[in-house]
This record gives sequence, structure tokens and C-alpha cells, in this order.
Amino acid sequence: MFSYRVSGLAVASEVDLPGLIPGDPDRAPEVTIRNAPVPFALDDPEMVGPTWQRAGDRFLLRIPDIARFLLEDGRSIAFEAENGADPQDVAVFLSGSVFGVLLHQRNQIVLHASAVLVGGKAVLFCGASGAGKSTLAAALGKQGYPLIADDQCAIEIGDDGIPMIQADGRQLRLWEKSISELGLAERRGDAMRNRLLKFYVDPAASSERPVPIGAVYALTEIRHPDEPGIERPNIVDATKLLTVNAYRPMLIHRFAQRDVYFRGGTTIAATSGIFRLKRRLGFDGLPATIAMLRGHWTQIGLAEAAS
Amino acid sequence: MIPTVWLASYPKSGNTWFRILVANLWSKLDTPININLIHSTDSIASGRNQFDRQTLIDSALLTNDEIDRLRPASYAYAAAGNTLADPDDPCFPVRFVKVHDAYIRNDFGEALLGGAAGGAGAILFVRDPRDVAASFAHHMRCPIDMAIDRMADANFCFAAATDRVDRQFRQRLLSWSGFTRSWLDQRDIPVHLVRYEDLLSDTAATARAALAFAGIEPDPVQLDRAIAFASIGELQRQEAQHGFREAPRDVRGFFRRGVAGGWRDELHPHQIARIERDHGPMMDRLGYDRSTVITEQRL
Repeated sequence: MFSYRVSGLAVASEVDLPGLIPGDPDRAPEVTIRNAPVPFALDDPEMVGPTWQRAGDRFLLRIPDIARFLLEDGRSIAFEAENGADPQDVAVFLSGSVFGVLLHQRNQIVLHASAVLVGGKAVLFCGASGAGKSTLAAALGKQGYPLIADDQCAIEIGDDGIPMIQADGRQLRLWEKSISELGLAERRGDAMRNRLLKFYVDPAASSERPVPIGAVYALTEIRHPDEPGIERPNIVDATKLLTVNAYRPMLIHRFAQRDVYFRGGTTIAATSGIFRLKRRLGFDGLPATIAMLRGHWTQIGLAEAAS
Repeated sequence: MIPTVWLASYPKSGNTWFRILVANLWSKLDTPININLIHSTDSIASGRNQFDRQTLIDSALLTNDEIDRLRPASYAYAAAGNTLADPDDPCFPVRFVKVHDAYIRNDFGEALLGGAAGGAGAILFVRDPRDVAASFAHHMRCPIDMAIDRMADANFCFAAATDRVDRQFRQRLLSWSGFTRSWLDQRDIPVHLVRYEDLLSDTAATARAALAFAGIEPDPVQLDRAIAFASIGELQRQEAQHGFREAPRDVRGFFRRGVAGGWRDELHPHQIARIERDHGPMMDRLGYDRSTVITEQRL
């Protein structure tokens, strides 16, 4: 068995999952991953999607020609590869898309976001695929801000009401274009799939401890002539912003999580702050975006003013 | 069930204009809707985000061909009204979805857009290819000759780069003629043809006919108001003020001229001759008169 720690959970897996941080093999697993027969359909599903079905606490996800995944009660994942799929291909979906669904199934708040450490707190950047989350985290990494998580951020509200992010220590996942534009070729690891130009990239530094959330930014692309800037929406809009940036927003409704996200959103908006980061997309604008963020971190007390 | 109707077009043929017109028709505001907040029609069919939301799969880790195998099921799922089950989704009489993909099949032989399960019908917008060429060149920030090359290229795609992730999936457009033919000649769903030139010369009648195809009978006063709110002047004004999010990055003036016959003062004679040579039969079929001698066989 392989042991990992994913979004704070102890995971025992029958298969190697590249890109995850190793876990403590002596700790009792909260999630087990095993290679086992998985049906093509569930009995009496109450919801059927284009690639998935749900029946009670069983959730089936099928990625044709790669694998079928059966998630039970947020505690176990069984997978069966299809048509001799490459184990590496199965693994990238297990540790990404499938684990994201599992976190929703566990009733956790999970955002589609990357996160870096600023002044001892987590700063999150939310957005859909292609919004620039990983690229911004990688660019900040080059400036000395350690990586906390890439792509998925699991959030817990502690008993003291402080929102915390479970550090994931996942490697960065960057496209070739970003790697070359950011000058990270030396840190480039394996391709995530052998037919894709998307690679694991070692962050210069990473944080492996859970940390309180300092700020959440929703990445918003603007076009000429709109000006870049950082806005703080009112608490209602901030909560909506958090919901639309869930890892899989559709599951909030399907798993009856609206209340969890609403309460989480109001707490995060009140304690850490939820902001809209308006900027032009593209590598040219990165230095200006980082300068704007640094100014904002000083303003909200995450960093001291440059002397 | 709310019917899904595709708004299909080769780029620069009036698709966005029609969408904004519809959005104004359904708006409760007494001012023109914000062109960056068109909630009343779905975004483009090739959008990555809605696919990831529906399939729960990170499509950035799928190849273009793998994505194309899943696209029919995702369109059928959305057309069946499943995505509208979310309380936050707005409801409108018809689900209009813009699409620039040609009507093609994936490597499993399935209609990429899901055939009759993916949509109840399509409104196909066409425009004189000589006008498309000048507008398309501006849109892609390339010389007009290159735009003409692309319009003749049966392998031309949008968003086909593999070294980055695009917010849209690869779209096979085929050539301008191939695109138009693929939609006109498919037999899965009914198609209503709209010529940009007709939409320009008699907007009310042409829009009314297209809306009737989709099962909508607009109030005449509201339709006139929507037409005024979607005038080229208004669209240009808003774009100058706030930009247009659906425009390609760094392209200013998505809403460029909004005229018919502009090719007469924008294209060189050799460019006109080339387009007419490349697309003569389809121009004839759509009723666009050629200015050069016809040497091809008629369709």
C-alpha cells in the first residue's frame, strides 16, 4: 500500500499516485483507494449525469477508455481501468477529478483554486480551468512565496471560527507554454499524461501545514479599456463568488451542500476577505498583477509595507 | 422542457448580434443590456467550463479527441434540462447556444453536438464570404489574404494549441463552404437559414422569422425596442467603454462596421476573385452574386 496525505486526509492506495505528498503509513486511513471491479451503472440511481450516477452514498464516475471510479460514503474509491488504460492516466484522474468529487461527497468546502503562503497565511486564487491559477501561483513561487496547493483547496472552519486550508503540497501542474514563459524548465518533472504537454513542476518551496486563510481572490479577466484592480464585493456577492468557484459547483446542489457553502462563505468573507482580482490575462501582465497584490497584502495586513 | 436551439455560424456572421438582440428582448430593463452580461443565452458550445461542471472531469487532462467523444453526451445532458435544475440558473423560453463548430462527427461516428438529443434545431447565420474575409482578418489580427487562406482550409480549427489550456475546446470549422454545407446538409435536426444581409436590411422581419422557428412570438413593440438596444452604434459604444469579453484578446472593435457589401472597398480584385473561386458554388446556393466570371460548375 502507498500512503498519502491529500487535503488533510490520510489516504491508503493500492496504486502509486504521482504528485501527492507521502503520508504516515501508521496512521489509520480515512480514505482507501483500491483496484476492484466497478459496474457500468448503479442500481436505482437517483441522479444520472453524462459521465456519472448517484445512488445514495454511492457515486459512479466514468471516464471512457480510462477508468470507472466508484466512490462510497466519502471513504473509499474503487477503480477499474478500461481497455488497458495506462496506469499513469488512471492515477492523474484519481488524484484530481475523482478526489475532488470525494471531497464534495464528504461535505467539505473545496474550491477550484491554487494557494500560496503570504505572511504565514494562505492566499487563494480561484478560477475555472484556463483562468491562470497555477501560472499565478508559479510566478509568486519564483518571488519566494511557498506553494500550499494547486487546483483544489479543501477548507475547514475550525471550532474557533477561523477558516483553515489543508496544505496539500501538491506539485504545480503547468502547461509547456507557462513553463517556458516563466523560465521554469529546470524544475519541470514528468508529463502528467504521456500524450499531454502538461507537466508536474517542483515548487521552489512549499508549505505542508494547515494554515489560516488570509485572503481569497476570484480571478476575473478584464478587457481593454477596463482597468485592473481589486474589489471587495458585499457579503452576499462574496458568498456567491465562493459558491461558483467550488471545485464542482453542480455538486453543491446535488449533495445538498448549499448551506455549508453559504455559512463557509460568510465566515471567510468576514474573517479573511473574499475579493475579485480584475486583471488582463497573459504573461506580460504578471509583474503588474503581482505588484498590485503585494500592495493589497500590505493594505489588508498580510505583509508589511516595503521599506 | 425548454427547447435547445443552436445558433450556428462561421465567425463574423451576425451570431453575437442576434444573441444580444434576444437578450434585450427578454430583458426587463428599460436600457440596453450590458453586452458583458448576456445571461439569457448560453455561452458558446465549445466552452470548457460548463463541460467540466457537467462531466465532473478535468478536461484539461483529456486530449482533444477524448473530449470530442464526450461532447455529445454533455450536450444531450444539458438539452434534457438537467443543468437547469440548479436553482440559480435562469429560465428563458428557449435555450439558445452559440456554436462555431461545423456539424461534424467524432471518431466514434457520433454527431459532435449530440444530434437530435443535443438540440431541437439550429438557426444558421451566413454572410457574404467577401465581407466575412475582411471582418475575420480584423478578428484574427491577420492580413486579409491569410483570412482568405483560412476560409479555404478544410482543416482550420479554433483553439487547437496543445501547449496550453484554452477556455474553449478545439473547434473544427472546416472551410467557409464546408462549414455551411455541413449544417445545411445534415439531416439530424431542422435548420433555419438567416442571411446577415437580410438581418441588416429588414431586422424585424428576419428576426421574427428566426424567432418563430424557435417557437417564440415576440411582442412587436418589445422586438423594436430590442432591435434598437442591439444597434451597432450601441454595441460599439459599450465596447469602447468596457471592452467585450467574448472578443479575442487584444482585438479592439469586435463590433467593427456592421455593414453589407463593405468588401467592395476593402478587398483587392484578386482577393475577390479568389473567394469567388474558392466558394462560388456555395455563394450561388445562398444567393450571393459573383462579380467575376463563373468558371465552376453550379451545385
